Amino acid sequence: MAAQGQYIIGVDTGGTFTDVVVMSEAGQVWTAKASTTPDDFSRGVMDALTEAARTVGVDRKDLLGRTSLFKHGSTVATNALITRSGVKVGFITTRGFEDTTEIMRAIGRVDGLSEEEIRHVTWVTKPEPLVPRERIAGVRERIDYTGREIAPLDRGDVMAAVRKLMDEDKVEAIAVSLLHAWVNPAHEEQIRSLALEADPSQKLYWSFGSALSQIAGEYARANTAILNSYLGPTVERYLKGLERKLRDGGLKSSLLIMQGNGGVGHREQVSAIANLQSGPAGGMIASAHVAKVLKHKNVITTDMGGTSFDVGLITDGYWRYAQEPIVERFRILQPIIDIESIGAGGGTIARVDPETGRLLVGPKSAGASPGPVCYDAGGTEVTVTDADLALGIIDPNYFLGGRKRLNKEKALKIIEEKIARPLKLKVQQAAAGIYDIVNSKMSDLIRRQVVRTGYLPEEFVIYAFGGAGAVHASGFAVELGVKKIYIFATSPVFSAFGAAAADVIHTRVMTCQYILPVEPKALNERLGQIEGEMKQIMIGEGFRPADIEFRRFFTMRYRRQTAGVELPVTSEPFTADKIAKLHLAFEKKYEELFGVGAGYTKAGIEISAIRIDAVGRVAKPRLKPERIKTKRLAAAKKGKRQIFFTRPERRLIEADVYDYARLGAGARIEGPAVIELPFTTTLVPPEFHVTIDNYRNLVMEVG
Amino acid sequence: MKLKSGNRSTKRATGRKSKMKEIDPIRFEMFFHRLWAIGEEGRMTLQRVTASPIVSQGGECMSSFYDEAGHMVLACSGHLRFAAATSDAIKKLIEWFGESPGFFDGDQIFFNDPYVAGSHTYDMMVIKPIFLRKNRLLAWTATSTHTADTGGVLRGGAYEVHHEGIRIIGLKIVERGEFREDVFRTLTEQCRDPQYVGLDLKAMIAGNNVCARRYLGLVGKFGLDFVRGAGEKMIADSESKARAKLRSLPNGTWVTRQYVTTLDRKTRKAVAQQLFCTMTKEDDELRLDFTGTSPQTDTDHNSTLPSTVAHIALALTNTLFWDVPWSDGKMRPVKIGVPEGSILNCRYPAACGAAPRIGNVLVSTVCEGVAKMIYASGRLEDVNCSTTGNLEFVGGPGYFYGGRTREGIPVAQGLYDIHGAGMGATPERDGVNTGGHMNIPSAGIADIERIEMQYPFLYFTRGHNRDGSGFGQNRGGLGSYRMFLIYGSKDCSADYKPYGGIAQGGFGLYGGYPTGISATRMMAFAGLDMLDRVRNGDYPETDTIRAGAWGRLHHPEGVPERIPLPEGSLLVDYVAGGGGFGDPLDRDPEAVLRDFGRGWVSRDTALRIHGVVFESGGKKVNLDATAQKREQIREARRREAVPPSGKTSSLGRDEAKEMKTILRFHAMLEIAGNGSEPVIRCRRCGHLFCGATENYKLYALHRVVHLRDFMPYPLPTGEPYIGEYHEYFCPGCATQLQVDLFCPPLGGEPILWDIQILRDADEP
Repeated sequence: MAAQGQYIIGVDTGGTFTDVVVMSEAGQVWTAKASTTPDDFSRGVMDALTEAARTVGVDRKDLLGRTSLFKHGSTVATNALITRSGVKVGFITTRGFEDTTEIMRAIGRVDGLSEEEIRHVTWVTKPEPLVPRERIAGVRERIDYTGREIAPLDRGDVMAAVRKLMDEDKVEAIAVSLLHAWVNPAHEEQIRSLALEADPSQKLYWSFGSALSQIAGEYARANTAILNSYLGPTVERYLKGLERKLRDGGLKSSLLIMQGNGGVGHREQVSAIANLQSGPAGGMIASAHVAKVLKHKNVITTDMGGTSFDVGLITDGYWRYAQEPIVERFRILQPIIDIESIGAGGGTIARVDPETGRLLVGPKSAGASPGPVCYDAGGTEVTVTDADLALGIIDPNYFLGGRKRLNKEKALKIIEEKIARPLKLKVQQAAAGIYDIVNSKMSDLIRRQVVRTGYLPEEFVIYAFGGAGAVHASGFAVELGVKKIYIFATSPVFSAFGAAAADVIHTRVMTCQYILPVEPKALNERLGQIEGEMKQIMIGEGFRPADIEFRRFFTMRYRRQTAGVELPVTSEPFTADKIAKLHLAFEKKYEELFGVGAGYTKAGIEISAIRIDAVGRVAKPRLKPERIKTKRLAAAKKGKRQIFFTRPERRLIEADVYDYARLGAGARIEGPAVIELPFTTTLVPPEFHVTIDNYRNLVMEVG
Repeated sequence: MKLKSGNRSTKRATGRKSKMKEIDPIRFEMFFHRLWAIGEEGRMTLQRVTASPIVSQGGECMSSFYDEAGHMVLACSGHLRFAAATSDAIKKLIEWFGESPGFFDGDQIFFNDPYVAGSHTYDMMVIKPIFLRKNRLLAWTATSTHTADTGGVLRGGAYEVHHEGIRIIGLKIVERGEFREDVFRTLTEQCRDPQYVGLDLKAMIAGNNVCARRYLGLVGKFGLDFVRGAGEKMIADSESKARAKLRSLPNGTWVTRQYVTTLDRKTRKAVAQQLFCTMTKEDDELRLDFTGTSPQTDTDHNSTLPSTVAHIALALTNTLFWDVPWSDGKMRPVKIGVPEGSILNCRYPAACGAAPRIGNVLVSTVCEGVAKMIYASGRLEDVNCSTTGNLEFVGGPGYFYGGRTREGIPVAQGLYDIHGAGMGATPERDGVNTGGHMNIPSAGIADIERIEMQYPFLYFTRGHNRDGSGFGQNRGGLGSYRMFLIYGSKDCSADYKPYGGIAQGGFGLYGGYPTGISATRMMAFAGLDMLDRVRNGDYPETDTIRAGAWGRLHHPEGVPERIPLPEGSLLVDYVAGGGGFGDPLDRDPEAVLRDFGRGWVSRDTALRIHGVVFESGGKKVNLDATAQKREQIREARRREAVPPSGKTSSLGRDEAKEMKTILRFHAMLEIAGNGSEPVIRCRRCGHLFCGATENYKLYALHRVVHLRDFMPYPLPTGEPYIGEYHEYFCPGCATQLQVDLFCPPLGGEPILWDIQILRDADEP
């Protein structure tokens, strides 16, 4: 798709702020933000655009009128799910399986919970299902696992169910998911045409499991259809309203919607459920985009906020998808970027266990309210932020750029009372302990994520995001043996930046069973058919065939295994030779993952799932490097501060404090030091140094 | 009788000086979390490499760490049964083979002897010593899986352990880093499905490799002395936490009794056994005595002592010690006594394939005592009428399938839909419907679409089981049932168990019912032409199957241990739900109406058990009629029940005045006092039963209801029910206080003195 205007706009509606990134063809970047307005999210978007226009120095009408691509990620779907404010949904499924979404494969009792929560067996319960049993109807029909029809669809059952759901239950949406529709969607297609009869004006929002996923697993597929219907009308209403405002505001280009898979899509092509997790996805694309510019193949993205620590990976330039991702405790089948999370953030609580004298950090959090003790808002439990403050890393008068004043005396007092005294430690030793323990826990999560993919952490660089990220990054990086940490000045608007940089991506994932050596013709035909379908959709979106790139991934396993290993594979047609190579590639990857000798060729090998990403490239921002100029550091120096460092040894050191805003590209700062940014504080321990690169990123390195 | 007990001292058999005192608390915390993360990594590796659905999806596996003498330092999540077991295996390996052949860097040892560790031969473990600089033994790591194929006779048919396939007491499958192809092939080719067993063995080896490599990394980072000291501290910490927990509970004795049935090979009929547990808590120690438990059987329905101890450990872990990290220290305050030759401590060479099933009932028996003990401490969020016992079934075709897959591969597998059980009710809420398997906290059941791709089955339903849980003010979580056709295989068989007329484990609390026999497994010869009926819209239902409308119900001649399942066999199979909490008459009528609307409770149960009357075709509660019906039920209780002692109180009339609550040991009953001898009093109506050290049941109204009069259906074979419910009501307000299951043919005292609180009279 060719860009015809002057600007590319990315907008991300987050929980608190709505961020806008505007980029000109020349590579200039402007950012702006406004408060998110949950009663009508589109208002916040328009406010942020007004603000952005002012920053660019044009009026809003002008800005929108000269915009070639408008890309938008929002929290609307996620928010509707968290607050359970979706619409009333009815569910139609195969007769005999009406309880599937309440049985939740029994694992629904623990899905989405932390290990600590799961251990409390007597206490843990399932979430309330989105569709209560009363609004679930079974219809007679049956297809077996090969796709063969066992019993035809009973149209009478369908019509009766639809009528009951419409007339008696007054549902606003209906979800349909039938057994084995992943392999043969014929009965769902028949229901789709019956839906047109029963609901000719399509007043209801209809979702079909087989249209959203072709993966075996009726529980997660049913959830997928239900969630799509539950969120659909809310998302649709929002986007319609927004589009109207944007058109009135002068926008001519099409509105592209950010998806959880890391791509944007045209509004008409994007299902409601694909909107879930678009914020984190935006952050991931931004990282991938930056990684490409900076030539980083392997990146660990970390985001340490108030309550949680989120980790994502880019390996060989690609992000990864979660298998059966869990959103708000519901397991679904959607390609969603794999981001793992633990309870470790600024608000994470530290305490001493009375029986064992252990210093326990997390997973409980004081959250935003009452928050850490130093917020002076009624918090009584020691938190990580209190420790950071006690160590002198954070300036109580310049926390989050001075937006919040902290009470250091209170923090010191509570640490003394609750941690230091019971452990017979000095206050700063105790605070240093909390700092080190939380860093260590974060490094454990990262390591687990990385080694699971068959890599080693040393092969990665870290991108540190979040208010507490740069305070702690040097700590967990050292634990992992990672040598380089990047902190981005644009980090607070990264999700919007990612939206602006996103390509159009359509993803199809499907279960299959090809036993090696598979007949190349059969495989090529199947791939050709799927890619052909995807290509048609994208041509309809205005892409030229030459602009569409297909990326193929196979999930492979030894026969009889239930889990598999995903490998990127060639996008060329398969030959017998290439299939033999596939066999070898799988066994090689397998041994990388599980050790030499772990493989078992004799068991046979099969392809158990195919994933295809069709990528339509769109114009994206070109980052413009700044010229390196060696400036004197003195101008950026704000003063000095006593900081208690935990490495190389625990001691108090006087460190220089710098203002990032006054540091130019090429500046080099030796640790011990602190660099203050408006949204975070970067701690540079002794034996580390930071350079400002020619994109004005902070690059922290050991040595 | 032998008492198995932990050693209280933290000093080691090796005589090494303790390094524990010098441990820096901050580094300890970093070490602890890292060790746990490594174990998790090992387990995930295992689950990704395994070929067992029960391991990858059912979570029946574990990876854990031990010190150089075999004491468990830390077990990670997974199947809790495995955690305790491996420690014993390592200690035996050291004793037997420490000298010859000795253990070396790079060795990995296969082990699956249930008389030393584990529950049955299908509990396989691979154990790896970890050496520093190739010559100094530092620690051990082990991974375990439930791998359902050891050769031998198929499940159900064994009557000595030699029938149960390979039983290996230690064989190096990797020797000094070299994979032993000869050992590997010798082991796997004893099994029906060598590829499957082979993948699981490789999975365990891979898991150990991850754990050992990372453990050495820890030693490099923290130093040898620190790692040793930290290991000691982990064990000592678990012990002090466990003891602190015990100190917070009132002293007393809790007595529980639950039942199982199995085949009597001589009479070819079902025979009942009881599990009897006397649990005494004094200060910071807990003693479990199983005197009174039935003798071992001549089938595979036996539990070895290691299996019994492992199941007790996991029962305590899930309820009492859920927040105590799992090391050997946790069980040090616990003393266990099990009579030799009993079903819980069978003598070699008894078969023990069904040990986990007995284990489930054992867990339930222990959990019942623990729930009552915790209730008395006031920690209500930890009280649960847990369910595990009900994973054992009353009778009929079992869930261990054998034969050939559609592709002709010989297999011996289980269908682990049995993990779709309901959880117990709690003081605050209903139990979780199909909450899963309590012993494996993060386990689930597989999608039917995935099952059908693998097994020769065609499902017609998987749903919640109506009336399938214990009734009560809060009902137990519902269990599940499924109905499926054998489809696509000419060679399929399953284990078979004669119908026993009493519920298998499970309990209700404080007037709530145990799960009972809400349904039974069945098999009908439907034939593949039944699919023609389905095609025409006629679907099988449990009632019509039971009535014979889908082919003759199959009750095999001579009660064989296994039965063939020819293609076209239609099976119905149930998993029970959790126990109920509190008097069912106290249930909110609107909750009963909702359950009725959802098909979870029958009209009959609503009326008969809950006293709830509907109107408007079951869309509304008739409140007046409900109040009336409930009063009628209370009247019947007063009319039909009599106090076992002949009187409703052992106390004088004027003792009631001005007493204050001392301890709530029961949802409706409390110990109260006013300087004088404390008494047991009804919290609702103030009725005084007896002194605090007497059995209140002797003064409660007592009614015996035979199961045949309570259960909705006769057993499919027409065999009689052999149990009865003993119901106890408050003489003052007629509230149901307790429902106990009793099996008269086994004898013993029917009026169980279940709660015996020991306390000083003047204690507040």
